[in-house]
Amino acid sequence: MTRTEAVVTTVREGVAGRTPLRIAGRGNWLSAGRPVSAAKTLSLGDDSGVVSYVPGDLTLTVRAGSTLAEIERVTREHDQWLPLDPFGSDDGTIGATIATASAGPLATNFGLPRDLLLGLEFVNGLGEVVRGGGRVVKNVAGFDLSRLLTGSWGTLGVITEVTLRLYARPKVDRSFAVSLEGSEKSTTALLRTVAASQLAPFALELLNGAAARSLGLGDSAALLIRLGGNAPIVEVQLKALSQVARTEEVEQSTWTEFREIDRGAESVIRISTLPTRFLGTAASILADTQPRVVISINPRRGVMRLVTSGGGEQELMTTVDAGIPVSFPTDGQGAGTSVIFEKLPPEVWPVVSPSVVSDPLSRGIKNAYDPHNILNPGILGD
Amino acid sequence: MTPPSQLNASAVADRLAEIVGDRHVLSRQSELLVYNSDGLPGYRRQPRLAVFPGTRDEAIAVVRLLADEGLPFVPRGAGTGLSGGALADDIIVVGLHRLKEIISLDIDNRRATVESGVVNLRLNKYVAPYGLLYAPDPSSEAACTIGGNVAENAGGPHCLKYGVTLNHVLAMTVVLPSGEVVDLGSKSGEHDGYDLRGAFIGSEGCFGLALEITVKLTPRPQTVRTLLADFMSVDEAARVTSAIIASGIVPAALEFMDGPTIRVVESSIYAAGYPKDAEAILLIELDGLEAGVSADLEVVRQVCVEGGARNVKVARDDAERTKLWQGRKKAFGAMGRLAPHLIVQDAVIPRTRLSDILETIHAISEKYGVVVCNVFHAGDGNLHPNIAYSADDPDESERVHSAMVEIMRACIDAGGSITGEHGVGLDKIGYMEAIFSETSLNAMCALRSVFDPDRRANPGKVVPVHSCREWNAVASARGAASVREPMPLAAEPARPSARSRNLESDLWEDR
Repeated sequence: MTRTEAVVTTVREGVAGRTPLRIAGRGNWLSAGRPVSAAKTLSLGDDSGVVSYVPGDLTLTVRAGSTLAEIERVTREHDQWLPLDPFGSDDGTIGATIATASAGPLATNFGLPRDLLLGLEFVNGLGEVVRGGGRVVKNVAGFDLSRLLTGSWGTLGVITEVTLRLYARPKVDRSFAVSLEGSEKSTTALLRTVAASQLAPFALELLNGAAARSLGLGDSAALLIRLGGNAPIVEVQLKALSQVARTEEVEQSTWTEFREIDRGAESVIRISTLPTRFLGTAASILADTQPRVVISINPRRGVMRLVTSGGGEQELMTTVDAGIPVSFPTDGQGAGTSVIFEKLPPEVWPVVSPSVVSDPLSRGIKNAYDPHNILNPGILGD
Repeated sequence: MTPPSQLNASAVADRLAEIVGDRHVLSRQSELLVYNSDGLPGYRRQPRLAVFPGTRDEAIAVVRLLADEGLPFVPRGAGTGLSGGALADDIIVVGLHRLKEIISLDIDNRRATVESGVVNLRLNKYVAPYGLLYAPDPSSEAACTIGGNVAENAGGPHCLKYGVTLNHVLAMTVVLPSGEVVDLGSKSGEHDGYDLRGAFIGSEGCFGLALEITVKLTPRPQTVRTLLADFMSVDEAARVTSAIIASGIVPAALEFMDGPTIRVVESSIYAAGYPKDAEAILLIELDGLEAGVSADLEVVRQVCVEGGARNVKVARDDAERTKLWQGRKKAFGAMGRLAPHLIVQDAVIPRTRLSDILETIHAISEKYGVVVCNVFHAGDGNLHPNIAYSADDPDESERVHSAMVEIMRACIDAGGSITGEHGVGLDKIGYMEAIFSETSLNAMCALRSVFDPDRRANPGKVVPVHSCREWNAVASARGAASVREPMPLAAEPARPSARSRNLESDLWEDR
């Protein structure tokens, strides 16, 4: 029996017994998403390994249970990498990363999981094996099941295999911190200069004091930037940046620590809006003294992440308050601002975000792919 | 669904005219001839009616009327597609080219919201003064529409670096075949819930009509450098392509033209100054920050020389660069010189397989006695083998057809896809079962049924009807007569009809 067949068997048993399944990779992120009541956990943590890797094609097909660390190890041997660094650790699986559409700082330059995924195999809620996309870098054959499954949190199918686009490792890859200890006015001026510049960083994050402190970057707000590419391109960008700010080189491991900033967090909220909305407001958001709210802003993507720990509803409100300067009215898909809740205390979900799949199309798709509501029921709401 | 045979065309035309005005409904057979093919002239289907709404509200009203009447329809943009996807077999064409307003431009956030019928080139001219561009650049960019790009998930030479349509569309307002209007995606770029925007893009008109589309704009690169490398063997050029990709440099574009293509282009009005005695050329473009591009340029030049390039020439200025590109973009048009008809494929193969697949294609062309011209997006492994022929010669048509089937089979066997950017449409529907299992095709059908439960939007395209479980169940419940298979769906793809048009027109740039 192949490993996909084993998943098929488990799903079919779930269907037969009407037993909901909690779909898990290595179980690192089980506290994210709405509470799921499932009798059984279907873990893909052991379903790992390379299915196909021809380095010259810069594509990689792996089993979904492969960890990001494993992908890193395999690709590094050929001086390549998967530039996908979701929050959390490299101990997480690629299947879970795709299923939750989790991205990290590198999305600034390399895009979101949806942009790196070429194809996948999954087992739907009827226990059928389905493939979407393919193993080549360009493909429009058939309807786009790869995008559909990305970010569906396991509710439409259990992802068993993925094919990804790889990149060559940059010749030079360096990171720098800029302390934003000046006035709000000077910080705003700096951010405007950076926004208008030709800088094309791999990653760019603004950190509030709490975030900077937890990374050992001092007590003030800070700008963290990653420049990569060939030597001249990094040099010219660094020079441009150094003309407007005092840069201090930091270890690449700073990014690893940054990605683990939610460890033990009670609430993680992401606000996605038009990037310019942060230009005028970022300085005051970062200066706000919220010692227990860790804030990072990606001004290129227009994304702010708010993290609190040890709080419940009270802490959550504080967190959301911190985001008020940019929390424009939202009305779901199509609006200019999205508030995305990644993690909340269980009792808070029904209050702030009971469901993100209640529209007729989403319901229709769920009903078509998992008619018995076996897969991660309720994790995106009803 | 109302079978076309029972359609009272003139009554429907009158009601459509009430919405859009008499001038914008076509019902005479002679007027409809223009709409009986898309950019792939081998296929012809005569529509019953064509309607062209001029505003978003008119478009919604048209779709609602069709929904009320249970009438099937085919959405159409500029009709430049290369899959037969916009053909309407005795049903109604809903053309959106009149929806051409650029609704808003947000320079600082690099976003534009446009109506479906806005032509790529027009959007690019509109945003150019602000130092911006819309990256997807199908070679039909002078005519094709953003709405059509969305339907096909269109690519183009520069998608090697910048990605295809799905990477550049943030949000859409869509009218579903039921007439319901929904917003998909988010103008901010990220949202939670299912990626309905992603599912819609590339749905080839089967999920509804995109009315308004918010796209991401890209800053114009500081520097652009274009290289022309020529080779005395196809194999060398193929290996150099693989070597450039493997080097890790991501060119903005990496295009391949073989000897027969070069010679056709050079003897046409699109002559670009390619060396006529070369067996292959690579057109390589690098862009970005000046410092980085210069360094990469040297690496690429070296890879070319070491790989056997006879000459590597760098365009000195914009005029020279434009000329080099013109030859590439007009290559398909130039092929009109060879024969009255042309057939083109769009398979994608792993990039390490270029050399051996090109060899296989050559062997197949010899076997069938046809001339295959290869002009394609080598950096992506996206082949466009095309054969100029006379469809009026049954023997030649037969050989061309057999050669194309065999080439496609070789690409599939190499682990490739049947289409990289042109779409499945009608042309490649017969190959879908060769790359997708029954359960996969059924999952696609199920998705389509969510957007279009009555399967009225672009019926008979993309996924073979007979492989759809639910549909078949519905069909038997309604009586078999209500579901028509639009074309024979044997293992082999549909055959182009002998009636075709001459190709040497401006629309016949390579897409």
